[in-house]
This record gives sequence, C-alpha cells and structure tokens, in this order.
Amino acid sequence: MSEYAFRKIDIDALDEDVLLPSDLYDPDPRGPDGVLSDAKSKSTEVRNLISRGDTAGALNTILTEPPYGEGVDEAKDITTTALLLILNSTRSTEIPAIVKALGPEQQDHLMAYLYKGMAVLGQGTDVSGSVLLTWHEKLTEVAGVGCIVRVMTDRRTL
Amino acid sequence: MSAPEVFQLSVGPLTGVAFSPDRSQVAVCANTNEAQIYARNGDSWELQHTLAEHDKLITAISWAPQTNRIVTCSQDRNAYVWTPTETGWKPALVLLRINRAATCVKWSPKEDKFAVGSGARTIAVCSFDEENNWWVSKHIKKPLRSTVLSIDWHPNNVLLAAGAADAKAYVFSAFIKGVDSKPEPTVFSPSGDVLAFVAHDSSLNVVYPSGPGAPPAAYISVKLPSLPFVNLTFTSESQLIAAGHDCQPIVFSGDQSGWAQSHSLDDPTSSSSRPLTPHATGSRVPSGGVGRLGNNEAFNMFKAADSKGQRSGSSAPGGGSSASSGLTPVGTDGLLLTVHQNSITLVEAYEWSSNGDVSKISTAGKDGRLVLWPVTAKAGGLAGKFGALQV
Repeated sequence: MSEYAFRKIDIDALDEDVLLPSDLYDPDPRGPDGVLSDAKSKSTEVRNLISRGDTAGALNTILTEPPYGEGVDEAKDITTTALLLILNSTRSTEIPAIVKALGPEQQDHLMAYLYKGMAVLGQGTDVSGSVLLTWHEKLTEVAGVGCIVRVMTDRRTL
Repeated sequence: MSAPEVFQLSVGPLTGVAFSPDRSQVAVCANTNEAQIYARNGDSWELQHTLAEHDKLITAISWAPQTNRIVTCSQDRNAYVWTPTETGWKPALVLLRINRAATCVKWSPKEDKFAVGSGARTIAVCSFDEENNWWVSKHIKKPLRSTVLSIDWHPNNVLLAAGAADAKAYVFSAFIKGVDSKPEPTVFSPSGDVLAFVAHDSSLNVVYPSGPGAPPAAYISVKLPSLPFVNLTFTSESQLIAAGHDCQPIVFSGDQSGWAQSHSLDDPTSSSSRPLTPHATGSRVPSGGVGRLGNNEAFNMFKAADSKGQRSGSSAPGGGSSASSGLTPVGTDGLLLTVHQNSITLVEAYEWSSNGDVSKISTAGKDGRLVLWPVTAKAGGLAGKFGALQV
C-alpha cells in the first residue's frame, strides 16, 4: 500500500490561493450553537410525533432546515439518528404517499440522508440497507434523477 | 413540422462547433488538436480545410459573423485567430498568459474583442494590438475562485457573463481602454436584459437585473427531475432552449413572473423522430454500422455497455416509471430513442426568422452528431403526445 501513500499528501498546504468550502457556500446563519439547539429540539419533537404515529409530520419537521456545513457534527449526528428512526418506523406501503407530500427541497434533503445512511451501514447504526433502498426507489420515482444529481453536487453536506 | 437534420461528423465527441456567417461551412473539432472546416454539399458535409496549429485538444471554436475570422482555444493554453486568405486559413497566436487549459472562447458582438475562459481562474479578454500586430489580453481574475466553464457577451460589447466551477455565475465589465467607446453555462437574451444559466444541480436559473448595486428584480430557479443541462440559448425574450445530459433539447418559456418547461424539440414518444438515419461525412465511418457487426444484437449490447454504461437487458423501454423519474427512454436495441445518443454539450442559434426570433438551432454533443432543429411551437408537440397516449 505504501506506493499509494502520496495520495494522502495535502497538496494545498503550501498554496495560499486554495479554494475553501467557505468560497463555495454561505454558512448557516443560525451559527453552530443555534443549529445544535435547533437539532435537539427537533429530535425531541420527532420522537413525540412518532409515538403518536405521525411519521409524515415527523419527516416534515426533521427535513426542514437541517444542519449543514462544517463544525456542526453533533447537530448532524442527532438529526441523522432521528431521521433513521423515522425511516425504520414507517411501513413500506405508506412510503409513496409520504414522499409525495414533501416539498422539493425536503425531497432533496431526504435523498441526501439516504445516501448518508448508506455510507454508514454496518458501522453501529441500526438501519438496514433494504429499508434505505426501498425509500430510495420510491423517492426517485417521485423526484426523478435530478434529485440524486442535486445531492451529489450540493457542497452543503448534511 | 419539418424533421431535424442529423449529421454524423465523427465517431467521438465534438468539442467545438461554429458555423460560418452564411451557414455554408462549419468548423468542428472532433476531440483532437485539429479543427476541420467542412463545406455543405446538399445533404452532406465535405472536408475543406484542416486548422492544425494547436498541440492539445481544442476546447472551443468561435466564428465571427461579420469579420469572418475564427478563434480557437485549446488545452495547450493557447488561442489562435484564423484569417481566411487565398491560400487557406492563416493563424495568428494570441498571448493569453494563462497557466492552465483554455476552456471556452467567444467573439464580442462588435468582433473587436474576444474572451477566453480558463482553468487558471482567469478570463482573458483579448484585443488586437495594431502597433505590434498581435492579439494581447487583459485578465479578469478577482472574484473567480475556480475554472471558468462558459462565457457570453452582452449586446453592448462591454458586459461579459461567466459561469464558473465555484458554483457561481458572474457578470463583469470587459472594458478595454482605446478599443471600446463608452459603454453557470451563461447567456444573455436578445435584448441583453435577462441573464440565464444552467447549473449542475439540474436547475435552470433566469435573472432579471434591476440597477447597479441593487438586488435583481426577479430571480427564477426551476429545478427539474431530469439530468442536468449543459448549455442553453435564448430564442426570443420569452423563450429559451436548454440541452444537456438528457440528450434532448428542451424548450422553456416564461417571463419575469416565472419560467416553466414547455416541451422537448425531440419527443422520444412520437414515432416521427425514430427512423432518422445519420448522414456520413468525409471518410469517417458512421457509428452504427461498423462492418457486418452493425446489426448484431450481441455487438450492440456490448457497444451500449461500453458507450453508455448500460446493460440492454436491464433497461426497460420507455415505460411510465422511467419517464416520470426523468430518465431518457431507451429502445429495445439499446440505443436511445432521442436523436442524440449522448450528452449534448453545445446549443447555438442557427437561423433567425424575419421578426428576430430564432427559428432554427444547432446542437452537437458527445456522440459526434451535429443536429439542426427547427424551433417548433408547443401546440403541435402536445397534440402529438396526446395522440400517442390514446393509442
């Protein structure tokens, strides 16, 4: 493997004119603390909604203004956990109607979380690949491949 | 409704296409370091000249409509201005002073300047220096943070719009003292009052500026379920055509209150666009019939897998689900049902009607095809669609 070690060298270290994430998107106006408290309150709200069986409302809440960017890792973790909880507790027959009811922006965010969930499969999370793939299939039918492209190109990683 | 004219100019992608002022000739670059000039002969194109001066792939070509000069720019960081003489096209080197590949080039409306975008986070605005008899450039560097992908001029010859890979579209003043008198893919509308750009998040954006320093009067962003567009052109003040990875030109119409998708010029569901056969040009072999393997099913399957990454077995032909999820429909033979068989990278106005609107556009793409489309109205297209639905 040593022959690939050069790939890990930070070639931008000595470049003063390096392109930073802040050049590509504006940070969240709420600030890191505001984002974290928002995420915590939403997570509690989501748990309440799920216990009342309102998965559509829970999904709507969690996908509105989700945390993005750098320095908000805790808020991101809380939101992801809450979202995966919703995905797990939804019956597969209900998925198409729920997905259709979401706004275009929320559909994009949901797709981003599905890919994030696939990235952490088998790393201690309690979500299964088949659940994510079912959601992915239904969401693509509604929102189209443009939704996937938007997730891939968005620099504001969730 | 006349059918589009299809010409297969190369097996590989066309990286640059520019028509001559009278549309009798076309300069194309077939993914090489040479540009070829073809002359139209009935239904085919005949090779006339080869412009060979660049060392690396030519990335863009622009042909000035009045002064009849061609400018080419290339990955070898150079641009050449080609002037027609009796013995052929004579090149003149442009001092671009950039340290990365040039990506796009466009003549200004008055044709005394041209702009070259590059991977060096720079736009070089070039003008002719009479004293030294060469083309010199001035750089626009400041807010650019990444590769410039597209440029277009405002009709007033001074404002320049650019789309860059830092996810922003810019408008600059490209004022050069002495040359000028007083004054995201990115194009201005015919009047120059509207700016439109397509982004890689499958969106089409239209901006109506208000005044200097003030926020725009209207900013409209249309998000689409399909694959992203690559290029676009205005056909009138209230209509534009965008094309890209979806392999078909899509007409959009709207005004300051909103823009919406109108129809596709290449309706894959109508049978009329199906039996088009590309015309071979020059000595090149049209992709489709390589020897006796042309009609072989197995050959087509591997060809589709190679060129489009698709396995024909898994691709359902134009079903309801694939249409709704924004996928380009694929026929049972593994070929796309659209005229273009791969991403469209170039869209340009080809012919204007008497009232100044564009009546024909040209598109070219990675499949090596050059297509001339009549700009059709929505009514016919919709009726055709409903007809197909009833059947």
